[in-house]
Parts: sequence; C-alpha cells; structure tokens
Amino acid sequence: MTVIDDTNQAASAGEGADLDPREAAKILDQAKRQARRQFDPHPPLAVVVGAAGVFLFGYGAVWWSMHDQVVYSGPAGWSLVVLYGLIAVSAIAGSVASRGATAGVSGRARRQRQVQGAAFAAAGIGAWVIQGALRYRGVSFEIVYGVYGPTVPLIALAAVAAGINAVREEWLQLSVCIGIIAVASVSTFFGPLGAWGLTGLGCCLVLLAYAAALMVRQRRA
Amino acid sequence: MKGSSMTTNTLEPLDPLIHVPARLRILVTLAALNEGDTLSFTRLQNMLDLTPGNLITHLRKLEDAGYIKSEKTWDGNGLATSVTLTIRGRAALEAYTEALRNLLGGLTP
Repeated sequence: MTVIDDTNQAASAGEGADLDPREAAKILDQAKRQARRQFDPHPPLAVVVGAAGVFLFGYGAVWWSMHDQVVYSGPAGWSLVVLYGLIAVSAIAGSVASRGATAGVSGRARRQRQVQGAAFAAAGIGAWVIQGALRYRGVSFEIVYGVYGPTVPLIALAAVAAGINAVREEWLQLSVCIGIIAVASVSTFFGPLGAWGLTGLGCCLVLLAYAAALMVRQRRA
Repeated sequence: MKGSSMTTNTLEPLDPLIHVPARLRILVTLAALNEGDTLSFTRLQNMLDLTPGNLITHLRKLEDAGYIKSEKTWDGNGLATSVTLTIRGRAALEAYTEALRNLLGGLTP
C-alpha cells in the first residue's frame, strides 16, 4: 500500500456513525450481488451468446449445407467457416469475460483454473487425435467427420467439465454437462444430419435453460 | 454506538468493527472469492470506489482484528498488495449476517 496521503481524513470516515440495521442489510445485499456479478467468469449473457452462436448458427449452418444431400458428401466450405468463426469469437469473448472477472484475483482458484485448462486441452486433443486415427485406419468420411466430428470431442470436453463440477458439487453445471453428453450421444444414432442438427439444437436449448436458471438464481440470491 | 439505550441494546449483537458501510462492503466482496484466494488492492479499490487512503485505513482495522490478511508480492513492476479474508473474518461476517437477520426479524416495520 503506497498511497497514504488521505489516511487521517479517512480514519474518521464513516466511523461510529449510527448505521441503521435496515441500511446495513441493504448494503450487504448490494455488495454481495455486485461481487458475485463482477467475479462471475461465465455471465449468463455470455453463455446465451455462446449457445446461440456456436450451436444454433454454427452447427445449424453445417446441417443446412448438408440437409438436401442424398449421398453424404460433407459440409460446404462456407458452413465450416461460419462454424469455426463462431467458435473463435465465442472462445475470445469467453476468455475476455473470464480475464475481466479474475483480474487481480490470485491463489488456489487461479491455479485450479490452469490445471483445468490442461485437462480440457488433453481431452480435446485426445478426441481429435482419435478422429485422425479413425480416418487413417480407413473409416468413412461420413462417420469420421459426419458423426464423430460434431459429437465425440464435445462429449470429451463435457465429460471433463462434468468431473470438475461433480467435485465442486455444482449440481446445476453438472446437469448441463450431462445434458450435453446425452444430447450428443443420442444424436449419433441419426447419422451426420442428426449429429449436426440435433446436437446443435439440443445443446443450444440446454445452454439457454442453463442461462435462464443462472439468472433466476442470481435474482434470488 | 451512540443513541438511545434502546438503540444501544438493539445493536449490541452487531460486530461494531463490521457495522460500518465501507468495511462491510470490503468483507462481503472478499467473502465472494473462493476460500484462500487473494484480491489485489487495486481491484478491490476499483470495485468499491474508495480512495486509496480510505481503503488502507479500513483494511488496517480489519487486519488488526484478524479478519483479513494482506501480503505484498513483487509483480514485475513493483510491490503489489493483495488481501484475503481469514477464517476468522469469514466466521465474523457470517455471525454478523446472522445477527442482522435476527435483529431485522425482531424489528417492526
């Protein structure tokens, strides 16, 4: 603490004032809400934008580009540009929101986030390496890119998130992860169109429900 | 606490060290972090919109009572101060909140 010029003036500021208990309760409530909002690395709005952007429009674009294919020939290039563009925008927006929320915060939680980041990276890279291996072993494009691509890496990432939330006893977030795993798993029964379409729509609905539940919880808190 | 004897009796269970707007906001803000996490002086100051001197004064009082702990670390540009809520401070805030709840429950509107 380097600035001490107004310390003496501050020493008496607010000291000994007859603070009304009702006013104190109001201050307590406001400070709690403000702190929760400012420290929240995943504000509901960001979750909604991510859900709508990546799953509805990104997966939706890929589904749309293939929906009239009689024989699978893969998604159109423009749809992949839309998908990966939205993933990039969502990742950057999430990273900026997370950095803002955790600015000035250090300690155990920061170290945990770094370890969790490594776990997510390992799960994602592992899933994508297997995708490459499947193609290398001669599995069809339809399975490798049409069914495996939109679902298995997502399931791997959601499984890591589910484990983290289970340890933390964050039941709402755990439910979201299980919901995503369930939607992505079931959608594989419906081929490439189902994998992209149902995963996109289902995960979007799961995340929108999550954002709504978060907002309700914040208002009640 | 000043005021009538009734007011004095009513406010008696409220920890006088916490029952000050700025210090209440400091403790509530630090309590929103995970246990063991620290918050930089600059971020805390920005969040609470207090002058540095004012914040230092309140932090010293809370630290003297063992409610918070401050530490200085080298962040590359100079010494940076960060603060964390102690177990005692968290317990004191919980007790204060409970006392306030009881008090307001007993007060007629």
